[in-house]
Amino acid sequence: MRDDRIDARKEATRLAEPVEEAANLARKLGLDPYPVNYWIVDHDEMNELIAYGGFQRRYPHWRWGMAYDRQRKQDRFGMGKAFEIVNNDNPSHAFLQESNSLADQKAVITHVEAHADFFANNEWFGLFGDGQGEDRSDLDAAAMLERHAETIKGYAEDPEIDRDEVERFIDAVLCLEDTIDQHRAFARAGDRRERDGPPDLRERLDELDVSDDVRRQAFDEEWLDELAEAERAEARLEDPHNDVLAFLMEYGRQYDEETGKAVEFEPWQKDVLEILRTEAYYFAGQKMTKVLNEGWASYWESLMMGDENFAADDEFVTYADHMARVLGSPGLNPYKLGMELWQHVENVTNRREVADKLLRVEGITWRNFHDVVDFEEVADLLAPDPAIASITPETLGDLDPDDPRVDAEALAQALDGKLDVSAYPWKVLTTEGLAERHFSLCKPQNRGFLRRIRRSELERLSRYMFDDAKYGTVADAVADVDYGVGWRRMRELRESHNDVTFIDAFLSEEFVKENDYFTYEFSQATGDFRVASDDPEDVKKKLLLQFTNFGKPTVAVYDGNFGNRSELLLGHQYNGISLDVEQAKRVLERAYDLWGRPVNLMTIVKEYDEHELEIARRRNREPTPTEAGKRIRYDGERFETHDLDPELEERIAANDIDYDTKPDDWLA
Amino acid sequence: MGLREDLDRFREVGERRREDLKEFIRYGDLGGSDPDSIQVPIKVVDLPEFAYDPRDRGGVGQGGDGTPDVGQPVGPPQPADDGDGDEDGDPGDEAGEHEYYEMDPEEFAEELDEELGLDLEPKGKEVVEEVEGDFTELTRAGPNSTLDFERLFKQGLKRKLAMDFDEEFVREAMRVAGATPDEVFRWCRGEHILVSRAWIEDQWDSIPDAERGRWESFEEMVENVERETTLERIRREGIREVPFRREDERYRHPEVIEKTEKNVVVVNIRDVSGSMREQKRELVERTFTPLDWYLTGKYDRAEFVYIAHDAEAWEVDREDFFGIRSGGGTRISSAYELAARILEERYPWAEWNRYVFAAGDSENSSNDTRENVVPLMESIPANLHAYVETQPGGTAINATHAEEVERAFDGSDGVVVAYVSDPADVTTAIYEILSTEDDE
Repeated sequence: MRDDRIDARKEATRLAEPVEEAANLARKLGLDPYPVNYWIVDHDEMNELIAYGGFQRRYPHWRWGMAYDRQRKQDRFGMGKAFEIVNNDNPSHAFLQESNSLADQKAVITHVEAHADFFANNEWFGLFGDGQGEDRSDLDAAAMLERHAETIKGYAEDPEIDRDEVERFIDAVLCLEDTIDQHRAFARAGDRRERDGPPDLRERLDELDVSDDVRRQAFDEEWLDELAEAERAEARLEDPHNDVLAFLMEYGRQYDEETGKAVEFEPWQKDVLEILRTEAYYFAGQKMTKVLNEGWASYWESLMMGDENFAADDEFVTYADHMARVLGSPGLNPYKLGMELWQHVENVTNRREVADKLLRVEGITWRNFHDVVDFEEVADLLAPDPAIASITPETLGDLDPDDPRVDAEALAQALDGKLDVSAYPWKVLTTEGLAERHFSLCKPQNRGFLRRIRRSELERLSRYMFDDAKYGTVADAVADVDYGVGWRRMRELRESHNDVTFIDAFLSEEFVKENDYFTYEFSQATGDFRVASDDPEDVKKKLLLQFTNFGKPTVAVYDGNFGNRSELLLGHQYNGISLDVEQAKRVLERAYDLWGRPVNLMTIVKEYDEHELEIARRRNREPTPTEAGKRIRYDGERFETHDLDPELEERIAANDIDYDTKPDDWLA
Repeated sequence: MGLREDLDRFREVGERRREDLKEFIRYGDLGGSDPDSIQVPIKVVDLPEFAYDPRDRGGVGQGGDGTPDVGQPVGPPQPADDGDGDEDGDPGDEAGEHEYYEMDPEEFAEELDEELGLDLEPKGKEVVEEVEGDFTELTRAGPNSTLDFERLFKQGLKRKLAMDFDEEFVREAMRVAGATPDEVFRWCRGEHILVSRAWIEDQWDSIPDAERGRWESFEEMVENVERETTLERIRREGIREVPFRREDERYRHPEVIEKTEKNVVVVNIRDVSGSMREQKRELVERTFTPLDWYLTGKYDRAEFVYIAHDAEAWEVDREDFFGIRSGGGTRISSAYELAARILEERYPWAEWNRYVFAAGDSENSSNDTRENVVPLMESIPANLHAYVETQPGGTAINATHAEEVERAFDGSDGVVVAYVSDPADVTTAIYEILSTEDDE
């Protein structure tokens, strides 16, 4: 008789050392992860965890059933092996699949440690707990989600409440899940930025103590009414509310069929709305940093497993296969993009450091740099000290305990035989030592990177060189290279950036070209998608479009009393890319369920002239659409589309970026 | 469990319930979009959200080696594929002209049973689960909630009945003139009153002297004093008088029922030698896939072993199984040797039901079938061995493996041979295979 727990325990024992050492290695490399609790689970449990988004308990809803169904099928038919689950929590909880090979488990563990470091240090995750690192010790996401689950389950099972209604209500809120103000700390996101409407002029006049006579003569009632109205109108539209869910929570109603009126939400509805909004904020951090986070984890995993031999020799092939599968999946792969970006940042930073030192050598200037510098020589000089690069019990004697790159205590232990240096050579080094050992520019795949530095960059470096420390020889200059700059910069960046800011800052021309990125667009002329541009600026724009605001158009509340009839006015903040209007209408239907009174959506649509379309198809030329502002209204039964008031249209119109990357003579 | 329920509700959405969500249901496919991969139908419910018009949005792609030329067509936009299990990642659905109905292997097996009139009974092998049955066992200790109160009370009642007596009546007996405790005792016992001598002696002094001699004789007393039965007493005094003793406590305990786990391992063997071209490979896939699904649906647990062979055999993953093609010659026994080893090591006959399905175009090295394959097939215990000959256009001259096997095992229930020369034959082949079964 098999006891599943015995298998799990055996696995846990087997993994105890890798888990401990991975955490140690991560810290040695300069990372600072949340502590991680590892759990061994079997196939079924893993599928369940994945279905629940990495947690053990979520509120009752068919969406988890859908995820579970899909996950089981993927698992059963061998598509997409699930490797790891780790959640953003302190301590983090990570789940490992019982049946994985040791190599796979190690890959997962190293990957997880890097994730835990990201969660702990990235400020976008901090927005939820309102802190960073230690300050987030109060976060217990698993418990929070479980509480939510318990509460909603209670409502679902309450005999007084219609189960389907609960589900329907949740569905409605989920449609608006991303209409939150993800750039503000959760604690403060609900506060309205808008200042209160200016007090009625009449009140102000009262305060000024103007006599009745003067008032009557100077300001007649009608005029004062109009002024008050105009000021209120302006106040209303001045600052749209990005946190639509908060707005609905405060002002939303439900439509009561019987009385034909909009009535307050039931307590359970308010509760559910609040819970789902909280969860949306919790997960926002993850959604906003997907590329960054996955790239970060992949980078460190690869370094620990490959470069630092965390994978034993016989495990390496399995590991290589694992990596190939993860990085090889088609389409825009966040792991790959993220990892490539981080590697690029590291290389660029290291290169700048080396170039800076070289430019201070007598006789080297930015003009003659490429002619005078012997890149082979520099590469040799840059290579890590052999005693650091290769550490065996025999070479331990070459290490000096006073050297800042050496961990004196560990070295002593190793010499005493208390530390296995063959298994864990990295233990006798400090972060500084490891930085040298793994200096990116010395890796074979980065050999040409230094040489590819642009003249423009060299010129800029020279221009801002203030202290003129000079080196007599290249050797002297290289000896002074700070090997740790790359990693330090990476650590800085992982604190402050999210996907959008990161891509905006670091997706350089060099990166786009090196990695063969291109944009594609829909052609009205041919009726399909075609390659549009490989210009780095265009690629960056398109990528930003994919990541800004979760890849979705920004919709905000512009008025809670539109037309003075308590109608809701939502506005799509148009950036040149139009909305999927049909789908938006479906969302409006559900927004109606949460407002109780008619709802409106402002947007700008692109209209194509039929005739122009015909010509375009015949001549393989893209037609030019005309943009028109529209207001779509739903009253619970019917849709109406109106032309948008020009003033309103101005409020939502695009101003700066044009996301269209179609070249002028595209398919001619 | 929460997820099971969520799964049920998901299945009902748009169908039995929540018709308002019907318009958001999509039937797509899991699995790669390359021609060799298998499509697994999947149902997706996409709640509407504020999204960009996909045509207006365009996207970013990554070239393999250099970027493609401007103006070149690209496939329809593929959403990002996640390696892990996050919330996103839709299946590719451009082939979505077909409407698949989401099928569970169990449902599939049922349908196939009906279609083909099959009757395969999965066999239980080793005992794996001990399942809790009804609460019929009794133990002397347990949690309070499982206490068998009725029993406790009945025992207490019995106790009381065994020891109970009408005290007042006995006291009256003590008031009989001239009686001594001993006499009273003996008289009571004669009357089947369960009092003890000690009790009488104990109570003797509590009777005031003035009351002694109230009765002339026992008979007089009996005539004048009413006797209360135990039941009346209990009724009067209340249930608290029923003594509950620790030793009477019994706790209900679920009966442990042993369930034998019905598990099965299916060994799929395929000839991947040079002669196995596209058409033949497709036929193999069309035959094996439903067989796999069927068995998955019938058994609690199904595991699969995939063996590809030409002149040698090697184990592969399912993903690679149908696509592989090598250039070598063919020696079918290599596959059986490997299968025998794998089954021996990982799937002992005592614990696992086994099906060994092999497919190819019947080509084999000379004498290999007779000298090696047949003996191997005999020596590997299994519920069923099957060979599927996929030969579009009928049998070829050198291809005799299937026939030889058929002749060798003629009359045996443990081996079945099927011939598939075009897709229409597949159903018949499946029927033949699944309706033959070695009765153990």
